[in-house]
Amino acid sequence: MNRKDDGLDCRQALLWIEPSLDGELPQGDEALLRRHLESCPACAAERALAGEIQRELRALPLPECPPEVLERVRRAGAQGALVVPFPARRLRMALAAAVLALTVGGGAAWIIEIERREERASSEAVARATAEARFALAYVGRVSRRTGLELRDDMRQRMSVPAESQ
Amino acid sequence: MTTAFESTAEQYQRRVYSFARYLLSNPEEAEDVTQEVLLRLWRHRDGVEQERVGAWLLRVTRNACYDLLRRRRAAAAHGVEVAGGLEGEEAQSLASTEPDPESRMRDADFRRRLLEELGRLGEPYKSVVILREVQGLSHREIGEALGIPEVTVRVHLHRGRLKLREQLREERRP
Repeated sequence: MNRKDDGLDCRQALLWIEPSLDGELPQGDEALLRRHLESCPACAAERALAGEIQRELRALPLPECPPEVLERVRRAGAQGALVVPFPARRLRMALAAAVLALTVGGGAAWIIEIERREERASSEAVARATAEARFALAYVGRVSRRTGLELRDDMRQRMSVPAESQ
Repeated sequence: MTTAFESTAEQYQRRVYSFARYLLSNPEEAEDVTQEVLLRLWRHRDGVEQERVGAWLLRVTRNACYDLLRRRRAAAAHGVEVAGGLEGEEAQSLASTEPDPESRMRDADFRRRLLEELGRLGEPYKSVVILREVQGLSHREIGEALGIPEVTVRVHLHRGRLKLREQLREERRP
């Protein structure tokens, strides 16, 4: 890097090129840079290239977005508005959800109660059937015992009569 | 009736689309990204402050483009041919958007080569150069959009410009 008679070396001049292009270099420094560029072809070429790049970049077009893209977004937004809940809609939805929960919950409780009743009814039936069975068995037992006693008495009677008659 | 969302989308669609187009150098992909970004704005319209919506949109656009570029690189790694860089027809298309008189043929050629080099510029330099030089944003606006301090924007911009100069200087040498 050469120090020129203008008091600015090339290193510093190169650092000042961009602030100069952006209009951010103080006036005094801008004058120093200008004097340096007048006497330094290498730095002047660099400044010219940087300027040309900036000019071309700033002249580049900003392409328009095709209108159909925006239309698609607008349509999607409109459809979204139909499904995105508004506060009143949210309230209605909450009420509907509560009614649904009550219906489903009540129905389930009712079914469970019926099943329990069925369970109770069948237990009673079993108990009744058991009692009847016991009664029946006892009856049969009593009948059997009575029958047995009657048979025994009959046998004794039959056995005693010939003996007496002999 | 125009909603607040529609008016915001109208206002920023060009900025979003052109940023995506210069980053991706593919008009169709830029359209897809623009649509995706504006739909995201619709979904988050209650959460984005109006004064920050521009920066928010550019950041979302940049991220969406990054995702796409990452997918491109992954596809390229698997041997799938993908578009990349502002080269060929896309560079020609953007370079010749405005009618060029005969006297500006040399400038048009320079612009085409510049676009090719801009396409080759790595991130984050490319985003910063596009936002500053093509879109004309201030350092502060770029910092807000990319989520980096203003001083970092300046550093990235300086390095990006330097890289462009180095490449174009090389091309000028016989």
